Amino acid sequence: MKMDKTDAWLTTSQNEPRGYIQPQTLEELWFHTGTNCNLRCPFCFEGSKPGDNRIEFLTLENARRFIDEALDLGVKKFSFTGGEPFVNPEFVAILEAALEHRPCLVLTNATEPLMNQMADVLRLRDKPNLLKFRVSLDHPDPAKHDESRGKGNFKKALDTLGRLHRAGFGVSIARLMLSGEDSAAVDRSYAPFFRIAGVPEDITIIKFPEFHLPGSFPDVPEITETCMTRYLNAEQRAAFMCNFSKMIVRKNGQCGVYACTLVDDVKGYDLGATLKAAMEKRVMLGHHRCYSCFACGASCSEGT
Amino acid sequence: MPALKVHNIVFRHDDLFELQLERGDIPFEPGACMALFNDDGDSRPYSISAGTKENILRFLIRRVPNGRVSDWLARRNPGDKVQASDPFGWFRPGRSTPTVERCVFIATGTGTGIAPFLSHLRSNPAQPPEACLYGVRQLADAFALDELDFLEGFRLAVSRDSGPDHFHGRVTGLCEQIPLGEGIHYYLCGLDTMIEETSRWLEASGIDYTHIHREIFFYEDGQD
Repeated sequence: MKMDKTDAWLTTSQNEPRGYIQPQTLEELWFHTGTNCNLRCPFCFEGSKPGDNRIEFLTLENARRFIDEALDLGVKKFSFTGGEPFVNPEFVAILEAALEHRPCLVLTNATEPLMNQMADVLRLRDKPNLLKFRVSLDHPDPAKHDESRGKGNFKKALDTLGRLHRAGFGVSIARLMLSGEDSAAVDRSYAPFFRIAGVPEDITIIKFPEFHLPGSFPDVPEITETCMTRYLNAEQRAAFMCNFSKMIVRKNGQCGVYACTLVDDVKGYDLGATLKAAMEKRVMLGHHRCYSCFACGASCSEGT
Repeated sequence: MPALKVHNIVFRHDDLFELQLERGDIPFEPGACMALFNDDGDSRPYSISAGTKENILRFLIRRVPNGRVSDWLARRNPGDKVQASDPFGWFRPGRSTPTVERCVFIATGTGTGIAPFLSHLRSNPAQPPEACLYGVRQLADAFALDELDFLEGFRLAVSRDSGPDHFHGRVTGLCEQIPLGEGIHYYLCGLDTMIEETSRWLEASGIDYTHIHREIFFYEDGQD
């Protein structure tokens, strides 16, 4: 289905009103730092790889404008994803600016780009707000992690996770969720590695389902207005990321405000050039990844 | 994304060559790399070995057997076009962090991992490293010895060839000769095992983790 703002935007293929979220308040603002990454993982839902510029590097100037607007709207935290944020040459400066105002979360593969900038990162402990890192450890089996991310990268990421924790930063991990898995058992199997790294065994583990490559159209059930009220309660609807967060994305030299972190490959989810305008727009749940949020409660957010 | 014209390809031997691309007005910093694309859209990052004042971009490339990009690049001819990303990177020899001024540093590279150090030397000839250790498998793999030999503290390690003018063995066999000091930064580029072994040795020798900078180029099992 082509997701532009035609009838298909508002109704499903069965001509039923499409489910939607009417955003409430801006609690969290995400920044996409760019799809340039030092790794090229075959499953990356952003299609990130070395030199990629589908989403361009965010600049400090870009970020400052949205930090200021988000503060006016009462934002509670800033979060950053890529690509690998530390590949962006202005990322540490951007993070520094954001930490002056609110707690921050950074999603990272915790390999060379971060390792090589550790001296700059350690200085951020002096900022008035807490900095937390979410490190990708896809599988509790290092060989499986390295199959996609490159030889030795599980060990490096684990080592960096431990160093960040010992330096006083908040840490969590993100992993892939396999269909039919025993999630609690998979989570528990990270414990020996956490012990090696010297991090608490009960750190937050965020699980992501298969999101498919950007621009793909997997066959998933469509979400109708009826689905949203029949299968979800008000609290569950409020937990959709598009209800309380937005993401800044830079393409072709311009920044746009996207509905969430998962839909930047569809132009229709570019909600405009300002956060205020974007928060007023209804988010139609027509992206295949919206179904992941509906079915799995997938969320990129976590407490800081 | 710019399409750059091939200026020349200079082979050292069948599996190792320098790709020269016309630079145009692309700015870069020593240590930067660019992703080069084949005509199927596959890409690999390669460090620039040229100096910042040169009119061409130089890349030292090892042809990986069945490598999607390196093999394709090896078959280009002068005048062909190669798609390239803008320069980027997080490895800046001679700068303690990307935003801090120059520092005293030691360079250690293996194979084509000498590229970022050559770029630094060609851009900042008055700011050489305190020492430069360069490891290759055979003498024929060594690039730019005529430039490197002039450096004080240059040591060449050749693992498969013995000879009077170099150390016979892996470059990690020269670790004991690396000058150690609190204010020194250590830049490691090339083979994963060299970087891991040298990092571990440096940390065990009391060097702060934040003074060790790494850039992995390739893996011992030949992964492209």
